[in-house]
Amino acid sequence: MKQIPDHSPDRFERRWLAESIRLLEAGRGPLADADAVRASRRAGGEFEDRVLVRALVLGEREGLLDALRDWRGFERLGLLIVALLALLSGFGMALGVLGDGTRPVNVVWALGGLLGLHLFGLLIWLIGMSLGGRDAGGLLGKGWQWLARRLARSASSILLGRARTDFLASAGLNRWALAAVTHLVWLLALLGAFVGMVLLFMLRGYQFTWETTILSGDFFAGLVAGLGWLPGMLGLEVPDVQTVQASGVGIVASEDARRAWAQWLLGCVLVYGVVPRGLLWAGCQTWFRRKRAALTLDLGLPGYLVLSDRLMPASERIGVTDPDHSASARGSSRQTHLPGVGAPTIVGIELRPERAWPPAIASGVIDGGRVDDRLQRKDALARLAAMPPARLLLACDARLSPDRGSLGLIGEMSACAADCRIWLVDGAAPDNARLGHWMEGLAGLGFEPGQIISGEEQALKWLAHGDE
Amino acid sequence: MAMSDKMPSAVRIALVGHTNTGKTSLMRTLTRDGRFGEVSSRPSTTRHVEGARLIADNEALVELYDTPGMEDPVALLEQIDALVDAARQSGESLDGPASIARFLELPEAEGRFEQEAKVLRQMLASDAGLFVVDARDPVLAKHRDELALLGRCARPLLPILNFVRDPEANEPAWRDALARLGLHAVIRFDTVAPERDGERVLYGKLATLLDAYRPAFEKLIASREREALARRGAGVHLIAEMLIDVAACRLRVEADASELASAIEGVNQRVRSREQACVDALLSLYRFGRDDVETGLLPLIEGRWEDDLFNPETLRTMGVKLGGGAAAGAAAGLGLDLMVGGLSLGVATAIGALAGGGWQTLRHYGDRLRGKLAGHQELTVDDAILRLLALRALDLLSALEARGHAAMTPFKQAAEASADWREGLLPPSIASARAHPEWSGLFGTMALEPEREAVVGALATELGKLGAAGA
Ligand SMILES: Nc1nc2c(ncn2[C@@H]2O[C@H](COP(=O)(O)OP(=O)(O)OP(=O)(O)O)[C@@H](O)[C@H]2O)c(=O)[nH]1
Ligand SMILES: [Mg+2]
Repeated sequence: MKQIPDHSPDRFERRWLAESIRLLEAGRGPLADADAVRASRRAGGEFEDRVLVRALVLGEREGLLDALRDWRGFERLGLLIVALLALLSGFGMALGVLGDGTRPVNVVWALGGLLGLHLFGLLIWLIGMSLGGRDAGGLLGKGWQWLARRLARSASSILLGRARTDFLASAGLNRWALAAVTHLVWLLALLGAFVGMVLLFMLRGYQFTWETTILSGDFFAGLVAGLGWLPGMLGLEVPDVQTVQASGVGIVASEDARRAWAQWLLGCVLVYGVVPRGLLWAGCQTWFRRKRAALTLDLGLPGYLVLSDRLMPASERIGVTDPDHSASARGSSRQTHLPGVGAPTIVGIELRPERAWPPAIASGVIDGGRVDDRLQRKDALARLAAMPPARLLLACDARLSPDRGSLGLIGEMSACAADCRIWLVDGAAPDNARLGHWMEGLAGLGFEPGQIISGEEQALKWLAHGDE
Repeated sequence: MAMSDKMPSAVRIALVGHTNTGKTSLMRTLTRDGRFGEVSSRPSTTRHVEGARLIADNEALVELYDTPGMEDPVALLEQIDALVDAARQSGESLDGPASIARFLELPEAEGRFEQEAKVLRQMLASDAGLFVVDARDPVLAKHRDELALLGRCARPLLPILNFVRDPEANEPAWRDALARLGLHAVIRFDTVAPERDGERVLYGKLATLLDAYRPAFEKLIASREREALARRGAGVHLIAEMLIDVAACRLRVEADASELASAIEGVNQRVRSREQACVDALLSLYRFGRDDVETGLLPLIEGRWEDDLFNPETLRTMGVKLGGGAAAGAAAGLGLDLMVGGLSLGVATAIGALAGGGWQTLRHYGDRLRGKLAGHQELTVDDAILRLLALRALDLLSALEARGHAAMTPFKQAAEASADWREGLLPPSIASARAHPEWSGLFGTMALEPEREAVVGALATELGKLGAAGA
């Protein structure tokens, strides 16, 4: 694996990358991942860790890792643009609401203009969040995502964007991300408005008034005092009842009254606009960050399950722990035969118990019996050695595997006869794959193919009369 | 690897038995590793001891050791008996393991009896042995002597009857012979086609034999069962993906004969390679190789002329798209309007609505409408082919589920699975895929929408039920 330059992806970004790879493979079919799988197995760990390592290696190769770094840039750029727009439009809002000072400012209208939209948006957001919904996070956040998507034009970036949205949404986190951006944008807009107001109040002279047709002056006094209570706690000035009453009647030229109105407006924007948006932004951001760090891949998805056996094999080879030293091939030990003159003999080697014994042998042929266990072997060998037969027929079960033990016994017995043939019982069965192995094993003992018989009749005939 | 340091006390099991009984095959099946060791129909294939760890949840729980086949137990037992007698004459009494240990020091242990010595040495180094039996063999003296030799190692021994499915199997004779030797716990386990719960029974019996390791075996059982379920889920999902891909495919064709023929040819090819991709994915899911299955050719597709431009599903999705997408988009536009101070109320909203997906749907539908008026036709894949694809894939899935990694003969995919693939109702997910050409990955890239994923999921659930009922 190459060294990953600067700023390697954090845990969330690696999961995001894994999700992107999963989507990519869902669309394009599995990627060639032999090296990635190897790297992931080498790294070890839980299944998720291994998936992440594989995704990292593949992501690097497919250019997704670079796209992910670009994506970070796009997000920042998008956020910057939105933030600038927000600051400017906040400033513009202050300008629009306060005007150029040629006309007195209607305080109630001004406050409504400054806070109304924000409070309305907040209400919508709250309703949206409480109703749930995959993307309910505020329109501004969506606008930002949309902008980031506009900036990211390459196929990889689009894939990453989709993977991210889906991944976050799968845990209900997308709305928190969107909400955080929405609140941030509003925070900046309101800050812009606040700064704009401070500047305008510093450099322009405004008159303040309020108007009504049917409401009483007391109502406005109460409203102003009520709204001003919280800013008042922070030490900002609030117009007193006389000032409020006077402002309703005509233009109040008193400097104190104007400062009080200005401070009241600033206080309201600060306390009912900037502060709540700021708190909400911080809250959403923290919540989102915390939840995002704890977000894990859904390893039950087929895209991951398909990998599980390869990344986490059910077994691991240990290797050879006791190697083979018998380089010496099992040499073909050609036996020297005893010059037997005794009566022809038949011996059954390791035959099935259900097989009738002896077969229909001619008179004059000796039944050497079945040979299976140690004693039988000893007896049979002793008898053969005592009176070596002229012809010896060894009946073997062709359906068994010819092993070293059986072949050794055959070798020893055949050495005790002048002429020895092997009768492979059931060797004629067409599907018997072991016949070939018998032939090989017997050839190793020095038997010619002609000395191996598979038909019963033929075998017994040879035993009775020899080769005619 | 770090695993061995973490779990030094993995239980060690030796796979022992006569030659050619399927020890290496059993090893392959239990490790799910089709390339472990060497398997051949000839005797004395394995000449060394080779191990593998069984891993569950990142933990090595069991170590299995494949050993050479025993070939000359009669002579070996005779020799060891002679050793014991000789020792007795010099006043020393050797118990089982001591007599084996004494034999292992002899030069014969490196020479004539090298293979058997490896088996006995590994047996002494293990916690238990699995005695693999070819149940087609008669019970012979050599097998009894093998059991006697292994018995002298004083380790729990669990006989495994292999080839039990074979008509020639002598299961009762083996059970009887083993019982006479005091081996009452016997397991049937066909390494090529193990029974569904074969591994569970095997590990369960081992847990009884080796009580100290019971937790490890139980963990292994649980993990293997979880994995099997997950694999099945993923398999069904892969099949559903393929079916949706094929069902959603829709090709606009000029009504001219030569173009028609080439279009059908193109679809045929795509469908076939899509099936092959699904087969490959299933094989890889179950850790088998391409040569483990013989794919039968799909019958040719005749194609289906479909006039479903106005079918309810098409219209419904149109409505949903326009409704949902446009509403979201319009809301985004509204937000923009509000941001720029209400300057452009209306303009941005409209743009937003189109960006929200309404536009694409509209254009798509418009295209199809225009094509229809211009006398074009739309080609889709027959229902019958879809059914066949589904049946073949499900067939393969159940074959893979039941297949041991020791199997050597490839699974044959049916060309025409069964008579009933032409009839029967297709699941509703297929019908909804028909209305979404953009969901098909058959020609290029598909749109991976959440709605598509939901339909694939629903189809997978349906197929899962089908397969389970069939099994
Ligand atoms: N049909 C069938 N064939 C099997 C089964 N188990 C093993 N075989 C076949 O039996 C033959 C021997 O299998 P191996 O696994 O090599 O046997 P082994 O015990 O390791 O043999 P050695 O290493 O030579 O002692 C191979 O051809 C296998 O394909 C089974 O359960 N069913
Ligand atoms: Mg072997």
